[in-house]
Amino acid sequence: MTVAILEVQGLVKRYPSFLLDGVTFSLEPGRIMGLIGRNGAGKTTTLKSIFNLVHPDGGEIRVFGLPMPEKEREIKQRIGFAGGAVDYYERKKIRDIAKVTASFYESWDEEAYRRYLSVFSLEEDKTPMQLSAGMRVKFSLTLALSHRAELLILDEPTSGLDPVSRAELLDVFRYLKGRGVSILFSTHITSDLENCADDITYIAKGKLIASGSLDGFLAENRQAGRGDTLEEIMVWHEKEPLYEKLAE
Amino acid sequence: MKNLLNKEIRLAASPLSYIFLVAAVMTLLPGYPILMSAFFICFGVFHSFQHAREANDTLYTVLLPVRKRDFVRAKYMFTCLIQLAGFIVCTALTAVRMSALSKAQPYVGNALMNATPLFLAFVLLIFAAFNVLFVGGFFRTGYKIGVPFLFFGIACLLLIAVAEILPHLPGLEFLHVPSGERLGLQCGLLAASAFVYGILTFASCRTAERRFERIDL
Repeated sequence: MTVAILEVQGLVKRYPSFLLDGVTFSLEPGRIMGLIGRNGAGKTTTLKSIFNLVHPDGGEIRVFGLPMPEKEREIKQRIGFAGGAVDYYERKKIRDIAKVTASFYESWDEEAYRRYLSVFSLEEDKTPMQLSAGMRVKFSLTLALSHRAELLILDEPTSGLDPVSRAELLDVFRYLKGRGVSILFSTHITSDLENCADDITYIAKGKLIASGSLDGFLAENRQAGRGDTLEEIMVWHEKEPLYEKLAE
Repeated sequence: MKNLLNKEIRLAASPLSYIFLVAAVMTLLPGYPILMSAFFICFGVFHSFQHAREANDTLYTVLLPVRKRDFVRAKYMFTCLIQLAGFIVCTALTAVRMSALSKAQPYVGNALMNATPLFLAFVLLIFAAFNVLFVGGFFRTGYKIGVPFLFFGIACLLLIAVAEILPHLPGLEFLHVPSGERLGLQCGLLAASAFVYGILTFASCRTAERRFERIDL
């Protein structure tokens, strides 16, 4: 049996106007999982909980079999996070940001870093401010990948990107998967997932709707007549009858 | 921790934190409340907090393989480093005023505080107030800097007022002598204020670590 690289069990987080209610899922090595849900469903709260940025009120998170947050430093050495485009130190040169970042990772691979810079056509003398949205995501990924992250957690990495940049990014994901890297990324652009994800976890209004293989999820919902694509299935689950309400 | 301090200096710090260290030279000004130099040194550090906040420094840092408490400690270390640099300059200039310039007319007839060990003691108390009220206050939320700096500003003005009044009180005129008088007592007060600075900064850092750990980012 394959050991899960990431296990989230019964994750609960209470806010005054929102409840993330017992979210459970697991990600196996070398697989890509999409975390889907509409805006405000709880995707970012889930990802932030994995990184100990928010404090869950209940549940358990284990990464590489290690408990979070008890083994926070060890875990963070082996994972990379990219919250979409780089939005920090916008006026500092890429060279300086990378140099400082490298000093924190035992497994920083300078050769790999140079290679990603070259493949993504990133110039070290530029600042994040001078990069397009697509290039910022690529820089964010470069930092995450250069310390040989075994698990990448990405919060809406394709949002705001043009179709070409999105297609390029999905190519990168497929390449990384081939190298054994596991990827968990949240998105509400469901077509991206149909092109590259193996598994999905679907959250609606803080509750887990489904978690498992993408093919199985699509087949089950097609059979139930809820739609043929992820988008149709999401709409079936969550669309509110606003037209009817407005017309009343 | 060395890496975090390096990150503070290379990415998070505002150049104004270093530029405002020049304010330590105010120690030489006659007819001026020279404790304002301590205020301006702290004002320089304030700019680094502001700069770091606008640059999303907190999020960048907590995603690195560090604990949240390490982030807090690095901010305190950077602050103390700047304060130490400012204090060293103030001390050197105080020594110059008390020796080579002790008979200089502007200092002999100075109506305001002269540079003495008591002045240095108050510099440390102002730094301690900054660490407790501003840095500690910042870590209540992790982003608010205005109100904590206002509280520090009020405390700083009160400390400056007390320091300026003290040498004019009956029996305490010796505190005003440019070359320093009853230096044993004054140095004792300086040592006591260094102790207070250390204790308050340490306690403030510990409290900030606990507060920041509870914050959802």
